[in-house]
Amino acid sequence: MVNLFKRMRKLQTILNIRVGTGAAIFPSAPSATKDFPAITRLHLTYARKIYHGHQGARHFWRNCLPRLKYHNPAVQVTVKQTDDQEGPAALTIYFAEQASKAAGLNAATITDKHAPAPTDTEKTTTVDVKNIDYKEIWNKVMMMTGAQEVTPTTEEEAQLKKLEQMKQRAEQDRARVQGIRQAKKDQERMLQEARGEVEKLKEL
Amino acid sequence: MSSSYNQLLPTAARSLLSSCRSPIRTAPMAPVFLGFHQQVRGAKNNPQAKGKKDLPVKKGRKGPKEFRQKNLKDVEQFALCDAMRYIRAAEVGREPALSKYEIHVRLRTMRDGPVIRNMLRFPHSVQTESRICVICPPGSRHEKEARAAGAVLVGEKDVFEAVKNGKIEFDRCIAHPDSLDALNKAGLGRILGPRGLMPSAKHGTVVEDVAARVEMLRGGTVYRERDAVIRLPIGQLGFSPEQLRDNLRATIDQIKKDAAALNDRINKEIYEVVLSSTHGPGFSLNGEFKTDSSPDSLSLSGA
Repeated sequence: MVNLFKRMRKLQTILNIRVGTGAAIFPSAPSATKDFPAITRLHLTYARKIYHGHQGARHFWRNCLPRLKYHNPAVQVTVKQTDDQEGPAALTIYFAEQASKAAGLNAATITDKHAPAPTDTEKTTTVDVKNIDYKEIWNKVMMMTGAQEVTPTTEEEAQLKKLEQMKQRAEQDRARVQGIRQAKKDQERMLQEARGEVEKLKEL
Repeated sequence: MSSSYNQLLPTAARSLLSSCRSPIRTAPMAPVFLGFHQQVRGAKNNPQAKGKKDLPVKKGRKGPKEFRQKNLKDVEQFALCDAMRYIRAAEVGREPALSKYEIHVRLRTMRDGPVIRNMLRFPHSVQTESRICVICPPGSRHEKEARAAGAVLVGEKDVFEAVKNGKIEFDRCIAHPDSLDALNKAGLGRILGPRGLMPSAKHGTVVEDVAARVEMLRGGTVYRERDAVIRLPIGQLGFSPEQLRDNLRATIDQIKKDAAALNDRINKEIYEVVLSSTHGPGFSLNGEFKTDSSPDSLSLSGA
């Protein structure tokens, strides 16, 4: 059984799902305004490997999408990984009723054939996310959707700090223990050699 | 230090050693030998020490008779809906057919003694579609029966060919004893083995009554207790909290029944239930359905 303390310590990292880049609340049906209509779905397409600029998209999925999903459980998110490295890396945003004005400015001309078709009441906007960092992608998304970022509470901030400290401490400790283990190994090896010499002497 | 050496070596060697000890023990080596001296007693794999004395080897002390289960009062526990919210966030963008909720039921139980193993039918089916492959002589009665029971892939040669070409479009595989020779000759063990799909009599996947087995595999989930934990998939990621709750209840009830059905003297009880998923973290459940801050169940269902 896993040590209870270790387990709870590890579980604290779910904090990373709550706070960080991408922790924001999309406008939903009650909070939608004329400028920023509600978001119904997201779809991301990118290629399996990172070259040709697919890195940012993957990082966006890894970092931002879980947080978005946590804060907007009702928003459906689909991700499609293609094998086509030359193909597009695109994020499709599905707006209810109409696309936001900001979305129109950012809309790319690329089409994402993997994105599910919008329903009658949905309008989609596709963003080209090739060759850009995940933070930039997030900034774009925020601008287009009018998402309200969730600021971490003081407790959460304190916990984040504590986790960071623990991480640094762990690195030091790891180096220290590595040293101890290496010293032990070296000693054992030298002993082995020494024992070999004794054997040789016996044979003399 | 020298005394330890003299004990360990035969007399002839001892004298030899003493005559030429000084060249070995050069200054930098000294501390190393010191360490050696200390180690002789405790070292497990020291051939010299082993041959020397037949010390009564300390046998590994018997551990506690029960699996040690700690007090859960410090454990952060979650309501079902909250746990689902985190898990769904962690599983975002995954293929919904591939990701499953799973539970780990930890038991308070003896280290030895009988284990719980049984099969279970959920109120809401977990497998999206369990695709079953049956290997039996083509054109036989068994083929018809297997197809009728819902096997997707039935045959012998063509199945082997498909598998060799890397097309494995099933997640269970059953073989009829009549085809066992052909199966072994085809050398699929290397491909199917690592995936756990290779039929073998030991796993009960080589059976006469193919059709009944297919029925069984389609319907139920097999589970067993290992090291005081029962792990089993419990729902698709698209399930609503209510569906998941129904499945969870059915499972817990069934496990309780299983535990009660065991020998009277054996006492097994459920100690912790952990909800996890294929790629997500595990959350200890506190038995509540939802808290005030959890989102409504509609938003927690669907892909």
